[in-house]
Amino acid sequence: MKVRAQISMAMNLDKCLGCNTCTVTCKNVWTNRQGAEYMWWNNVETRPGPGYPRQWENQDKHNGGWVLDGGKLKLRIEIKKDYKPPGLDDYYEPWTYEYEVLFSEKQTDQQPVARPISLIDGRPMDVSNGPNWNDDLAGTDLLLEDPNLDPLQKSIYTQFKDVFMMYLPRICNHCLNPSCLAACPRKAIYKREEDGIVLVDQSRCRGYRYCVAACPYKKVYYNWKTGKSEKCILCYPRIEAGQPPVCALTCVGKIRYVGVLLYDADKVLDVAAEPDPTRLMRRFIDEVLLDPFDPDVISAARSAGIPDDWITAAQRSPVYKMVKKWQVAFPLHPEFRTLPMIFYVPPLSPVVTTFEQAYGAKITDVFPRVSELRIPVKYLASMFTAGDTALVEQALKKLIAVRIYERSKNVTEPGLADKAKQALAEAGLTEQDAEEMYRLFAIARYEDRFVIPTNPKRYANQPQLQRGVAGLP
Amino acid sequence: MRRPELLLPGVALAVAVVLAALGVMVVTAQESAVLVKFINGSLPVDPASPLWPKPADVPLTSQTLVYPLAPAVENRAVSVSAVYNGTHIAFLLTWKDATQDVAKPGGLDVFPDAVAVQFPVSRAQLPYICMGTVDNPVNIIYWRAGVGVENLVAGAGYGLSPQQREALGLQTTPTSPVELLPDSAQVVQAYAVYKDGAWYVVLVRPLGSVHPLMSSLADDFSAAFATWDGSKGERGGLKATSGWVQFHLERPIFAATQPTQPAPTATQTSATTVTQTYVVETTPAWAWVVIGVLVALLAVVAGLALRRK
Repeated sequence: MKVRAQISMAMNLDKCLGCNTCTVTCKNVWTNRQGAEYMWWNNVETRPGPGYPRQWENQDKHNGGWVLDGGKLKLRIEIKKDYKPPGLDDYYEPWTYEYEVLFSEKQTDQQPVARPISLIDGRPMDVSNGPNWNDDLAGTDLLLEDPNLDPLQKSIYTQFKDVFMMYLPRICNHCLNPSCLAACPRKAIYKREEDGIVLVDQSRCRGYRYCVAACPYKKVYYNWKTGKSEKCILCYPRIEAGQPPVCALTCVGKIRYVGVLLYDADKVLDVAAEPDPTRLMRRFIDEVLLDPFDPDVISAARSAGIPDDWITAAQRSPVYKMVKKWQVAFPLHPEFRTLPMIFYVPPLSPVVTTFEQAYGAKITDVFPRVSELRIPVKYLASMFTAGDTALVEQALKKLIAVRIYERSKNVTEPGLADKAKQALAEAGLTEQDAEEMYRLFAIARYEDRFVIPTNPKRYANQPQLQRGVAGLP
Repeated sequence: MRRPELLLPGVALAVAVVLAALGVMVVTAQESAVLVKFINGSLPVDPASPLWPKPADVPLTSQTLVYPLAPAVENRAVSVSAVYNGTHIAFLLTWKDATQDVAKPGGLDVFPDAVAVQFPVSRAQLPYICMGTVDNPVNIIYWRAGVGVENLVAGAGYGLSPQQREALGLQTTPTSPVELLPDSAQVVQAYAVYKDGAWYVVLVRPLGSVHPLMSSLADDFSAAFATWDGSKGERGGLKATSGWVQFHLERPIFAATQPTQPAPTATQTSATTVTQTYVVETTPAWAWVVIGVLVALLAVVAGLALRRK
């Protein structure tokens, strides 16, 4: 067992309101410069939809991630001999508006109009695509491009009574088995040993863009101005100081949780090469991610040089509780075999109660059953568990049980207490679990959501030898 | 009884003789050289200028690459002609490329067509052809369509102490075996034209060196070439490269004997461009002889040790 610690994030999609505050704050901090206009290190996708860049999940088109070739892990770009990164058409041409006209135009009968102009070359342009175009009125026809939609049921989803939507915020997944890193012939990409953050060394990068092609999440972006590739850095300067990344800090819905996960580095390649994707998903949670309360894990972590405050942080980690203890948070597309370390709590659908007649929903109670939810479980499973609907159902059951339990505490209704007990039992939760989940999911404070130990800097104890690297000038 | 004792040294001696002979053969292998024409005046920067001598075709082969990159499989060529005057040297590089790929703003999936010329920094011995080694670096001129030209050094990076690197104007810690020379050494100019399915690139640089890691071309020199075809997604190691090519500087005797001749006569001398043979210096012959003698000595010692047992 080779224990490593990683700063990881969990997002509770149930509470995401799609406001894109995370996106905008990230943009203002990191990508507000020429060559980076089209980059969205953080973006929020309205799903179903094609995502950003367009159809990034469709690996027949974009060749990202790993595939098994005779039992061995190989990059899909290598198998397909296609190393081409997406073009600007797959993203969109970034634009601004000619605001100066509003002040400088001579007085005429018409109001002056600020035309859209390209942020790349400044010429006037027609806006025909954007980073979440299907959420704009012009782009609804893109909705069915979503690779997660069951082909047989596509038409059903567009029927008014069955239509559904959800938000999917995305950042770099800081994977345990990053395909971007493996694809770089210049070794410009590395995964930090102390906190697992995956970074592109700008002084080594020569802009070959193999990483852009190889990342299945398309979260490495090529900067045409600098000629180098860039990606989400999980705000590592903030993380090192014990502060949450900007996207997590500014999240209006407080959906983001940041904490330490301990993992077994020896198991990573074995699990990534597990032939059955749903088994891969389960083994990822069960075998690769470690229990920070296990005495064997603790002693192995200590001998691996992980400081005690990091082990304590791993025990207090909200991400650990969601991913490993309650198993209500899942990685995005584990079947890409990169072992992504950003996790998602699948959303309960909007709670529909009394409009049974109007919408034809088959409602049996205040809270619907999992089978009655508006977002098809199959759709969620296609995104988060490599198609394993049982895992998603179990997680949703837990989320609903907590709500029933909390309602039973506040509403006097005959039989409700029994119903709550039954729901908890079905979901496999104790009352204590339910209390803890309620606190963490509904009313968590800053220090509950962000349990981030400061960087031990143990790799910079001889700074004179590391000038020019490790962030030292 | 004496025969087995002599066998081992005998074999070693024979091997040494063969090695020495091979060494001499390698050293005396002859290769054609490209004549660098002398021009008394300013160097042409227009590829269509009549001052350029007849070009030599340098064959290029795709570089072999390992996982995860795909090896390209094709052979092509770059045509090279070169001129110099008292201060500068200019190369005209011409190669066929059916598509013009130029880096542009927003060109996220554009890989520019490119060409590079590599020179040995030291004259003692030809460096390893694949971008030199730590103890024998190369100086590279790298031009990319739409990006521009860079004067680089390859191989030296990891062989220098931080103090040496700082003195050379390089970043204290090397980040790559290939690095940009400091601004003061960015003295190469490029003039490029794409016409009728071919690139015409003129590279002009000072004849001498302006940096310890830049090659001086003031005497006969060697150079190697590489081209990238952007439309095939070629970048980095995905390229086609040549072997070392010898360049011979035409002695400016013409200029001395005909000092009053105006520039146009240069066109007449261009017809006189000849291909001459020059020795390619690799490991010197005496080194092979020394190696042979050492091997023989070792064998004798080994034989003596065996006899004692």
